[in-house]
Amino acid sequence: MRRRLADELVFATGAIVIVMSAFFAFLRAFR
Amino acid sequence: MLFTVGGAVLPRSEQAARRSESSVYTARGALWVIIYLLFVLAPMFALLFGAHPPARAFWTEFSVAIGYAGLAIMGLQFGLTARFRYVTEPWGEDVIYHFHRQISLVAVALVIAHPIILFIIRPELLALLNSITAPWRARFAALSTYSLIAIVVMALWRTKLRLSYEAWHISHVVLAVVAVVAGIAHMVGWSFYFGDPWKRWLWIALTAFWLGLLVYVRIFKPLFVLRRPYRITEVRKERGETWTLLMEPEGHAGLRFRPGQFGWLTVYGSPFKVSSHPFSFSSSAAKGDGKVAMSIRKLGDFTSKIDEVPVGRRVYLDGPYGAFTIGHPADMHVLVAGGVGITPMMSMLSTLADEGDKRPVVLLYGSKTWDDITFREELEALKARLNLTIVHVLENPPEGWTGERGFIDAEVLGRHLPPPYGEHEYFICGPGVMMDAVESALAELHVPISKYHSERYSFV
Repeated sequence: MRRRLADELVFATGAIVIVMSAFFAFLRAFR
Repeated sequence: MLFTVGGAVLPRSEQAARRSESSVYTARGALWVIIYLLFVLAPMFALLFGAHPPARAFWTEFSVAIGYAGLAIMGLQFGLTARFRYVTEPWGEDVIYHFHRQISLVAVALVIAHPIILFIIRPELLALLNSITAPWRARFAALSTYSLIAIVVMALWRTKLRLSYEAWHISHVVLAVVAVVAGIAHMVGWSFYFGDPWKRWLWIALTAFWLGLLVYVRIFKPLFVLRRPYRITEVRKERGETWTLLMEPEGHAGLRFRPGQFGWLTVYGSPFKVSSHPFSFSSSAAKGDGKVAMSIRKLGDFTSKIDEVPVGRRVYLDGPYGAFTIGHPADMHVLVAGGVGITPMMSMLSTLADEGDKRPVVLLYGSKTWDDITFREELEALKARLNLTIVHVLENPPEGWTGERGFIDAEVLGRHLPPPYGEHEYFICGPGVMMDAVESALAELHVPISKYHSERYSFV
């Protein structure tokens, strides 16, 4: 079960990284 | 709920202390997640400060950003496996290694997506794939990516590739260093965002920090372990192809562990070699004489020759590690063991007995046959010192067996545990399939996740 928690953390980390990368790109491209 | 030790209700202050210990662990776990994300994202966003290069299209910038993030995740992999007790404690070592494995797939996906996006929006860049004509910065990128792919292939299919643990471990470390150093060389070579020299130095310092973590775990930690050797005093044959190594500290007081924890053992060679293996302590943690025991089943690789370890041999022990340990508030302990998963339970039971704990303990223990039950007699003897109920579950029971047969599942748990199930503290250790089944069964019984602890013994 704690592994499932770790899997969720991996998923959340991946999602946060992609969203923040898009934010970085947005700031660079449109500001 | 009343928390008792030795039959007596724990004082209110002790109950509060035990509750606050678990919330401190949760807070520490959350703090490390935030620090991890900061280490991944902050170096990238630092590039937005100071002088800016000319703006580029969104997808170009996005591909570059995921490249940075992928590289940062790769670098932090050295930290996840650096065995920092303070970091790993709230999670348990097996969960950290599980995260290490899974997040590497995210890093590889990000690193590979970085050039693919660029190739789609600027097909002329495909020429950079030719490493003979490409500039060095592109060659480094290719080297980093190929190393990463090799790491993943070797980690996922190590047994199919018939790689020994040691050969795999050495190539894993070498390829990881190549992937990270080539990645940073690619970034510095391109230098698009490094108009301000401090940005270049920030990323180079970050890489030095990641590699420093490797130096810590491969040089400084082994140096410490080397100064605290142990000597094998007995190699005892147990039931079920298992051998117990009894060890005593040589010239030092020994380590203090909590029941259920494990250590990395190096039997052959020095601690600098990548030949240490994780094993649970099977002895009582309450003795305080520094002597420790590890019980090891022949399962292949290093363990296949465990019976040949000579008495008197000097060995090295790095530990203790792991969050799989008793000491939480509980009205009773429920230990669920499969096969050699009994070793941490043996340590828990011996410790509870030595501490005079009178709370009820139920041990559900799955084995192949009656003769295979490791510690069968020792467990029977512990019944005299503990309020202990043992339920053997046999895969191949002998003729006339009236006990449980098959595997430990929700029905077995329901038959032997008194309600309310959510008040007990559960510990599960055994093969992956058994652990998945027991964890699902506990969820069926509405046992909250905070009440059960599990450790998989094959996490490397």
